Amino acid sequence: MSAPDMIDATRSLTSRQMALYRFTRNPAALIGAVIVISVIIAAIFAPLLAPFPESAGSFVDFRNRHAAPSWEHLMGTDNVGRDVFSRVLYGFRVSLGLVVGVLGVAVPFGVILGLVAGYFGGWTETIIMRFTDIMLALPPLAMALAITAVLSPNLVNAMIAITLLWWTWHTRLIFRIVKAQMNEDYVEAAQVAGASHFHILFRELLPNCISAIAVKISLDAGFVILFGASLSFLGLGIQPPTPDLGTMVATGSEYMPEMWWQAVMPGLAILYAILGFNLLGDGLRDMLDVEL
Amino acid sequence: MSALLEIDNLSIGFRAYGQYRRVLHDVSLTVGEGERVSLIGQSGSGKTVTMRTIIGTLPMPPGVVEAGTIRYDGRSLLDLNKIERNKLKGTGISIVLQDPMLSFNPVLTIGRQMDDIVRYADSRLGQSRSTARRRAHIVDTLAKVQLSEGARILDSYPIMLSGGMRQRVLIGMALLNKPRLLIADEPGTALDVTTQDEILALLNMLVAEEGLSLLLITHNLGVVREMADRVYVMDKGRIVEKGTRDAIFTAPQHDYTKRLMAAVPPLYGPDVVTIENHHTDPNPAIRIAGVSKDFVGRSGMFHQQRTLHRAVDKVSFDVMPGDIFGLAGESGSGKTTLAKMTLGLINPSEGNIRIDGQDIAQIAGTADFRKLIQIVYQNPGSSLNPRRTITDQIAVPLKFTGHETARIKTRVGELLEMVDLPADMANMYPHELSGGQKQRVAIARALSVNPRILVLDEPTSALDVLVQSTVIDLLHRLRDEFDLTYLFISHDLSLMRNFCNRVGVMLRGQIVEEGPVADVFGNPTHAYTKALLSAIPVTTDEAEAQKPIVSKEERAAVLNPSTAIGG
Repeated sequence: MSAPDMIDATRSLTSRQMALYRFTRNPAALIGAVIVISVIIAAIFAPLLAPFPESAGSFVDFRNRHAAPSWEHLMGTDNVGRDVFSRVLYGFRVSLGLVVGVLGVAVPFGVILGLVAGYFGGWTETIIMRFTDIMLALPPLAMALAITAVLSPNLVNAMIAITLLWWTWHTRLIFRIVKAQMNEDYVEAAQVAGASHFHILFRELLPNCISAIAVKISLDAGFVILFGASLSFLGLGIQPPTPDLGTMVATGSEYMPEMWWQAVMPGLAILYAILGFNLLGDGLRDMLDVEL
Repeated sequence: MSALLEIDNLSIGFRAYGQYRRVLHDVSLTVGEGERVSLIGQSGSGKTVTMRTIIGTLPMPPGVVEAGTIRYDGRSLLDLNKIERNKLKGTGISIVLQDPMLSFNPVLTIGRQMDDIVRYADSRLGQSRSTARRRAHIVDTLAKVQLSEGARILDSYPIMLSGGMRQRVLIGMALLNKPRLLIADEPGTALDVTTQDEILALLNMLVAEEGLSLLLITHNLGVVREMADRVYVMDKGRIVEKGTRDAIFTAPQHDYTKRLMAAVPPLYGPDVVTIENHHTDPNPAIRIAGVSKDFVGRSGMFHQQRTLHRAVDKVSFDVMPGDIFGLAGESGSGKTTLAKMTLGLINPSEGNIRIDGQDIAQIAGTADFRKLIQIVYQNPGSSLNPRRTITDQIAVPLKFTGHETARIKTRVGELLEMVDLPADMANMYPHELSGGQKQRVAIARALSVNPRILVLDEPTSALDVLVQSTVIDLLHRLRDEFDLTYLFISHDLSLMRNFCNRVGVMLRGQIVEEGPVADVFGNPTHAYTKALLSAIPVTTDEAEAQKPIVSKEERAAVLNPSTAIGG
């Protein structure tokens, strides 16, 4: 009721400036952004940053195996003498590759289905949304295990398994937003102006979903990393010697608790990356003022 | 006369986004015992901030009281502690909010919500009453707001009551704990004009009979004339003029007050503008012949029953080229349904519509049809896409009627100039524009393909009255310049009197009266037209005297009384 009066106080700022202000006043979001950027840099420049780049492969140095963390090996070495810190940096690469691969396919697919279902309604909506409901009813880990077990476990198949399950959340989110947008007159205005369905879907409706998609992707990234790591931990994801964080935790756990760093350090790395994406996602949500 | 409420040099600011902005500047205002005071202002003038500071619901932070005092009955409200302050809620100062639907919790019965108010007030004052006594007290209070079926209302949920009844219950709620000062924030604004009229009469009666003082917050000058002894005019956080009602209405001093007065379209009197149509083309631009529309409703959760609801009932009329045809009616009268059928967005159940001689069933959806007729919506906040630039939006009709990309840009420039907007707005987003500017963009978009007919669906009802008058002037100018025909849909009859040359009055899907404006307004024949006209709050005594007289029986025959439970 007092909205006009309240807005008046800030009228000299653009909404972009206000959003940026909200973001910079949110320490958690800033920390999240710094963590995510550091993970991305680590992944891209792993060969340059890693003190022992050869550790990423099937390198063996038995004289140095099970070395505790030291200045030379910040996170110690593993059971064949590879530098855990170097492998963690490469591990970020694999994790981010998984995120890009999964979300790169699942998000566009899910978003388009959500747009179409929300815009056309009727039978189109019923078919798409009920199918989405069925996919959502399948227990994700069990499904992923089944798929990777059938297709032979490797990075690509893990990606396919996660992608097959992931798009549903985006379909639901976008469907709900589009349904709400359909009450706005601008959709009808575009129809009166003779706009094509393609135009209304991608030029009118999609821009109104972008903030929500951005927030969802950021929150998703953490979960995809976790999901991928879980699969690898169970031996159904990425296979050695590829340096995957989940596989490293699984292998390292055999030497717990004496040589704790082999499992704990990659575990902390997973925690670090997920925390970063989640904090960033929450910050974006406050900044862009969207509800998920 | 001792002052019950006394605001002295109140200054309030907001701290937000690292900036500080003062929104109230040295506001002083008094309400005497038994007095009716109005605070007039447009949106953003600071009247709501003033009200919320009085009742203590202004969020602080971001709100900051810089200076000034508010005294109620001699006590300084801003210095009271929370407990003392709460004791005054409902018992000293009470408030009636604007939107009767939003003010209720939809999942609780009216009785439960009213009982809560009595119970909490009792506990604040350290007394207690039995459930039966509280209920009796509530029923008595409802009788005061002319709701005789108190017991039935108490067992109803908010959705079961009509808008007018909800507003009455809301006033009843405010009166439950016998306040001395009633603050009313735009009472009845969300309701139809005939219901609003009843609500205003009720408030006046309560002030007279219960000895209440009233602080009325509104943007409607007509309402103020009926409801105030003294008036304060607020603009940009300042009181720019104050005085008795007669002084303000007969001899406004401040420039802003004068402009405000001049912007209100007069219903009767010497300032009324009569629009004429000089076209002689005998072929109608729009011919609506025996058009009806039925909607299918479903009721019941398991055994679905199909019920037909007739929204438009055998309507026929012609709009001639050059006409500004006003379709008047209250909410639910079927005027918007009729407009959507005219645009080919929904199909009539019976009858046919011809646009420029061609049957709409044949041509709807074609590019030629779109070049014939376009629409301007009520709320530009909703009809413009918040995520697209002004150019992108105006270009849509051009793109889909086969304009070349290269020419679109120059055309958008022309269109912006046509609606008096600066060219540098082309790359802005809607939120960077004011309400009036947004509506101009919507008009530019509708005109982009040079249509011959525009459907105007309440194009100014979301705008302040000063902005409204500039948009109306623009629409008149464009009609003369481009030879346009308008179908204008509105509930605002004063505006229609000055904007249209012909009007049709709709009631429950039917056109009950139709003709040139001067005839319909000067000599209404149907009881509903008379009831509508007599309910409009006007700003001069002459206009008041010229309103048609409608008997109670005539009124009752055409209106759903707002005091009975129904639909």
